[in-house]
Amino acid sequence: MRRKVWKPGLGPASKEEGLVWGVFEVKYGWMMLWRKVLTFVLLGGVLGGCAKDGQLAEAKKNVVMVEVTSQTWDYRLPWNPGTVSSARGAGFVISGKRILTNAHVISGARYITVQREADPRKYPAKVQFVAHDCDLAMVEVEDSEFFKGTTALSLGNIPELESVVSVYGFPIGGDRLSVTRGVVSRIDYNAYTHSGRESHLAIQIDAAINPGNSGGPVMQADKVVGVAFQGFRGDVAQNVGYMIPTPVIRRFLKDVEDGKYDYYVDIAIRWMTLENAAMRKYLGRPNDGRGVVVTDIFSEGSADGILRRGDVLLSIDGHPIESDGSVRLQGQPVQLEEIVERKFAGDPVELEVWRDRKMEHVTLKLKPAEMFSMYEILYEPSPRYVLYGGLVFQPLTANLMGVLAGSADLRLRQTYSLFGQDQLYRETPEPVILSSVLPDPLNVYLRGMAGQVVREINGKRIRTLADVELALREEGERTVIRFEGDQRPAVFKKTEVDKATPRIMAQYGISEASRTEVNGRRLAQGSYFKGEKK
Amino acid sequence: MKSVMGVLWLMSLGVLIQTQAATGDESRGSLVRVRTSIQPYDQFRPWQKKSPFGLSGTGVVLPGGKVLVTASMVANRTEVGLEKPGSAEKCAAEVVAIDYEANLALLKPTEAEFLKGFAGVTIGTNLKAGDSAEVWQLERNGEMLRNQAEILSAGVGRYPSDEAGFLVYGVRVSLPKRDDSYTLPLMRNGQLSGMMMAYDRDSQEGTAIPVPMIEHFLKDSADGKYEGFPTLGVSWAPLRDPNLREEVKASGSGGILLTRVNPIGTAGRAGLQEGDVLLAVDGFKLDEDGNYRDSLYGPTSIGNLVRTRPYVGASAKFRISRNGKEMDLVGSYDRRARDEVAIPTLQFDVAPRYLILGGLVFQELTGTYLQEWGDKWSERAPQRLVQLFSFQQEMRLDPKKKVIFLSQVLPSSMTAGYQHLSGLVLTGCNGKTVGSLEELASIADATSSGDLVFELMDDPGKLVLDASEAKSGGEKLGKAYGIPALRKL
Repeated sequence: MRRKVWKPGLGPASKEEGLVWGVFEVKYGWMMLWRKVLTFVLLGGVLGGCAKDGQLAEAKKNVVMVEVTSQTWDYRLPWNPGTVSSARGAGFVISGKRILTNAHVISGARYITVQREADPRKYPAKVQFVAHDCDLAMVEVEDSEFFKGTTALSLGNIPELESVVSVYGFPIGGDRLSVTRGVVSRIDYNAYTHSGRESHLAIQIDAAINPGNSGGPVMQADKVVGVAFQGFRGDVAQNVGYMIPTPVIRRFLKDVEDGKYDYYVDIAIRWMTLENAAMRKYLGRPNDGRGVVVTDIFSEGSADGILRRGDVLLSIDGHPIESDGSVRLQGQPVQLEEIVERKFAGDPVELEVWRDRKMEHVTLKLKPAEMFSMYEILYEPSPRYVLYGGLVFQPLTANLMGVLAGSADLRLRQTYSLFGQDQLYRETPEPVILSSVLPDPLNVYLRGMAGQVVREINGKRIRTLADVELALREEGERTVIRFEGDQRPAVFKKTEVDKATPRIMAQYGISEASRTEVNGRRLAQGSYFKGEKK
Repeated sequence: MKSVMGVLWLMSLGVLIQTQAATGDESRGSLVRVRTSIQPYDQFRPWQKKSPFGLSGTGVVLPGGKVLVTASMVANRTEVGLEKPGSAEKCAAEVVAIDYEANLALLKPTEAEFLKGFAGVTIGTNLKAGDSAEVWQLERNGEMLRNQAEILSAGVGRYPSDEAGFLVYGVRVSLPKRDDSYTLPLMRNGQLSGMMMAYDRDSQEGTAIPVPMIEHFLKDSADGKYEGFPTLGVSWAPLRDPNLREEVKASGSGGILLTRVNPIGTAGRAGLQEGDVLLAVDGFKLDEDGNYRDSLYGPTSIGNLVRTRPYVGASAKFRISRNGKEMDLVGSYDRRARDEVAIPTLQFDVAPRYLILGGLVFQELTGTYLQEWGDKWSERAPQRLVQLFSFQQEMRLDPKKKVIFLSQVLPSSMTAGYQHLSGLVLTGCNGKTVGSLEELASIADATSSGDLVFELMDDPGKLVLDASEAKSGGEKLGKAYGIPALRKL
């Protein structure tokens, strides 16, 4: 419990958890991960011991099977529409004819149907809201016939440890509604593997996990107390399943009330516990068991310019902070992150800060930690790229690392892993990688250069993929592409490239020479893409 | 020590056909068994050594009574002994010259008379691909096995403790499993043609250190002052690509592009710069792939031309083209680009340096430390340390300053809250920059009361200890953890 990274999951920092997480076993293996989330990560739960007779009946009315045909982009061939696959998950009806499920169930969906236990018909559905960062999604069905006989489940609270919960869903082993049962084993922060970089409150239950449970409700006494979403594979651990608790679900529901999802916010600092006597004395703090030390502030984050290194945080929104970084909420100790977790973009946070041996009060306005979005696995947006003379340039993303992992050289791996820690985003919001070289007579001397980090093109420093397109338009007879480190430059004659481009595109079945805009919007800052953001 | 460095012994049967027994006389005059006891330092617990193990090989007696073996055979040794082939007569030996890059070592028996009567083996001529040779092994009774071998290739390749490459023979030979085979001689016509340094029993192929390397090593060590193999201190890229040639204004043919030049290296001090096209060295023209034409081997990599052929101190002549203008530059060969670095690569025989202050263990960063993380050290070791080591030249680390880092924390009440920290580079202490363990020690020693504030390159940025507590408590802590000394500077 010594040093904490405030939610931004810095690439390597989450690797420690990665050892235990089945879905993390394949480093950077997001495609695998996606499938594993569907395949392995679903909770099976059952009727609670304290469940009333009515709970099963309620579940039967409101739990739905979600069948999804989805498409997964291939970052190796970013111009391709991707591979199509089908999977099954669960969802449940809540008030207002809304259906809740997991984001990973409907990621990349091209066609969705939902089906109720009591009705053999499959109804087409579409995604209304998706929150990849907390793995929740809302699905809507146009045909009101579908909701006939549903009663809508309501949300409960955080269940007690050791209390019994039931999990409903459609896991492998059959096609009808399944019910399993377990007890609440642990309530703690945990990685949400779908996005690859987020951690939120999660509740561990000891019910078995099986493919197809994802998105199904976990119930106790007629109320939904969570959404089953991930777990360990059997060869890693037994009976360790996780559900998304109701505070996270409620936050999602509140966030989308205005018609769009805005993502989690973050203070974007690092802090250290204040357990050391010499450190306390140095900072002029008494041994009162309170406070944590701010050790790093991420520029462009919520605390940029407001907090300083060496500040001691004593309270957050009036809740005293213990020296281990916990606060009390409703009498329960929780990580101080939880205070921020429940807030939204633009919300203020009030901090009591011990600075230069004086007490100060500061208020900061929360915003999402966009500088870390490189570590977020992307599902919907089409991969961006620029093709030039058979050289394929792509922005560095978690998805790209997923496909380059095996061949990534040290510089590329370090650019990725130190990007957040060293705040490289200030200089280069979106490192551009020469991701592959499509063999052609034009680039016969450039094979084997894939994986290099682009530094400049035609004398222009490259900070985003959009820069690449602009720099390639520079006047001149030759195009000179320089890379980080002691690599030779790649040099082309422009006339030769112009001649070769149609040939290369035809040869490799590429219809567009570049894709730098997504959803009609150019990403000037480029280091992030958030589908729903304005 | 990695197993591939030694000759691997996992023999299959049926390879004895090519093997013939030799007369005892020859072996008695030329080969000697070498037994070494090896005990590497524990980089993660720098105050102790790892468990010892033994190696046994066959050394070549040279005229004059010295014994040639591979350096891997004696790396991190605690003891070296010689044994006569026909008897169990033994004698301790000392290392008189060693070069880990070239993987060669020269031993001398401590009793001057021990090898009396050994005529020794002379150094033979250079071999080339297609030549036949023999790999000699000793039987238990001192008889000799002469295994027919063929030279498959002669070119620049990797050595176990060198990244840049030296001349190496590829050898095909079927070697039966025998004791004393960690090091073996490659012979031809009764003369030494090479030293086997690796062998793979599946492919029945191995590598050998060739004559030019051995000659360079012996000649260098003859005056008692060993200087080692020079290095240019450059990175380069081939210049075949016509577009690239045009860009760097390389007219005609031949030449390589210098993509980085270490200013303190042989090339840098001669005035070569990044972006220059290197056309010739010492009158040897380079082709577009960096090969010169060797009179014996044909096209051979520049590595052999500038590392094996010349000696440290010899003059170096470069013909370059800069911005299309050809010119000659002159310098002298040295090793500064290799030796004068902030973070040394591999180190043998030296204890890792460390300083423990109040439970905080500081070490000097070396390649050897990073290698302790295993084959995937570049993924597993703390990334900041990997970065500083791997990119030290482009990050312009001052070669005069060492990289000091907090390697671990010994938990105690003094270090409460710090105990999980590791792999953090120290930049300063009490406001002063720290470029060596000595500097850190002198700051700590001079501070008898008040705070010791350690400034770190990465999060958490700062650690504080009470100076007097660190002193008194440090001693106790050392005792509690059984650490013999709190510092090794």
